Amino acid sequence: MNFKHILSEIEKSDPEVYEKLSDRRQALKGFGAKVAMVALPFAIGSMFKKAYGQTSKTVVDALNLALEFEYLEYTYYRQGNNTGGLISASDLPGFKAIEAQEKAHIDFLNKTITELGGIPFKPKNFTAATTVAPYVPAAYDFTKGGTYTPFSDYTTFLILAQIFEDTGLHALQGQMPELLSNNGVLQQAFRLQATEARHAAFVRLVRRLAPINAPETPAPWITNNIPPTIPLQPYYLGEDNVEHNRIITTTLPNIYYADGVMPKISATAAFDEPFDKTKVLSLIAGFKL
Amino acid sequence: MKKNNTPAQVDETEIAGNPSRRRFFQLAGGIAGAGMLVASCRRTPPSTTYVGAGDIGLLNYLYILKQVTVAMYTQAIATPYYSITLSETELQIDLRDQELVHREFLKKLLGRDAVKEITTNLSLITFADKKSFLTHASILEDLSVGAMNGAIQVMSSTDYMLTLSKICSVDARHAGYIREVWKHNTFADGTILDANGLDKAIAPSLGFATLENYIETKFDISKLPTF
Repeated sequence: MNFKHILSEIEKSDPEVYEKLSDRRQALKGFGAKVAMVALPFAIGSMFKKAYGQTSKTVVDALNLALEFEYLEYTYYRQGNNTGGLISASDLPGFKAIEAQEKAHIDFLNKTITELGGIPFKPKNFTAATTVAPYVPAAYDFTKGGTYTPFSDYTTFLILAQIFEDTGLHALQGQMPELLSNNGVLQQAFRLQATEARHAAFVRLVRRLAPINAPETPAPWITNNIPPTIPLQPYYLGEDNVEHNRIITTTLPNIYYADGVMPKISATAAFDEPFDKTKVLSLIAGFKL
Repeated sequence: MKKNNTPAQVDETEIAGNPSRRRFFQLAGGIAGAGMLVASCRRTPPSTTYVGAGDIGLLNYLYILKQVTVAMYTQAIATPYYSITLSETELQIDLRDQELVHREFLKKLLGRDAVKEITTNLSLITFADKKSFLTHASILEDLSVGAMNGAIQVMSSTDYMLTLSKICSVDARHAGYIREVWKHNTFADGTILDANGLDKAIAPSLGFATLENYIETKFDISKLPTF
């Protein structure tokens, strides 16, 4: 058995085989020589399982997490948009656009997950008899046990919209590694993420400009790890990360400042951060029934 | 930290607005090119800058794009459009700084493979005119998003892909914001999204063609991966 030959044959049909297996292309080329022949089949088996075998399960799980956020957001916006007098008339078209786009995302994710052979996530209490799909108010408690009044106070509605959008983005970011095995889905997830980022920017800008109480004066992007209110700090912990690919962004040059380096607010705002599944689920747990 | 945004302190890439310097660079390029014609066997014209192949080419493409956006916001801050608000001024500085983070980050990531400083050409933009500036800012921010979504499709390094994910979503925030400055509630409309509510993915060759409207330097993108 010639291991190098196998790899080179695969490379002909899949030029990215080395990248899928590992970033260390040269190490892999020398792989066959360094592994005992008896161990080789097992080593190969685990390597290829890692690269190709994981496709469905992890991809479906990742998309289902995205779908869970889309249901939550869609239901939240639909309820808000249909609450007379809550959203200012000038902002209402924007929130209606978001509602429609979240619905398109739900349809898209349902279709994609089904095509991959997976079972799409359904919110709690989702039944055809009680629900006008995908609107599932019976799945959520947006007051978080009476803590918030999002549907009677516009300021609160916007604050929760902001944390749902930003957290939804962090959730998607965190799932990107799970999608690397499927380039087509990965690209669609990137494109979905871009739409969500536009939503987040809109909500944050409305908070900045509307005649409401937004003491931290939010920008459309997340500066450092600043939350809209102190109790919501957990939603932004880690957003002030300054290291990417072993590069410290606060050391990058910026001639427009006296010290010649990038201010931290920009160094951190220039990157959105990935949050893992456990973390994002814990952040929305209080809003689910 | 004092913010200093006087017009005198323009960045090294912002020489396009100065005709005499631009002329100088054109002449210098011609002379340098004549020498290289003898020395080089490359098929492409010697006065072009080679962006590289594979992931290097893709990162250079995005690096060039970031050089353009930094130049644009720097000029916009120096010569703001009529009727600009305080909030818009503040956020333009944020935009310039974040684009600068992206530019310098990509430069560092590329290391010795980074293309040299380029000459931008922003003559399409009338900075004093709000509509002109926002139209082009919107084109370039939407392009940033689409360029990254497109680049990952032909990228090899998963490390780079995951990094671009974190940058791309911030560019989408920028893109949404710029559209809002022009017209409220247009952050993501049907001109950008498809029926699934997904933003664009632009093929690198196509994205580069748009970018060329804003740069003076000629590039050899013959090895730039595209689809």
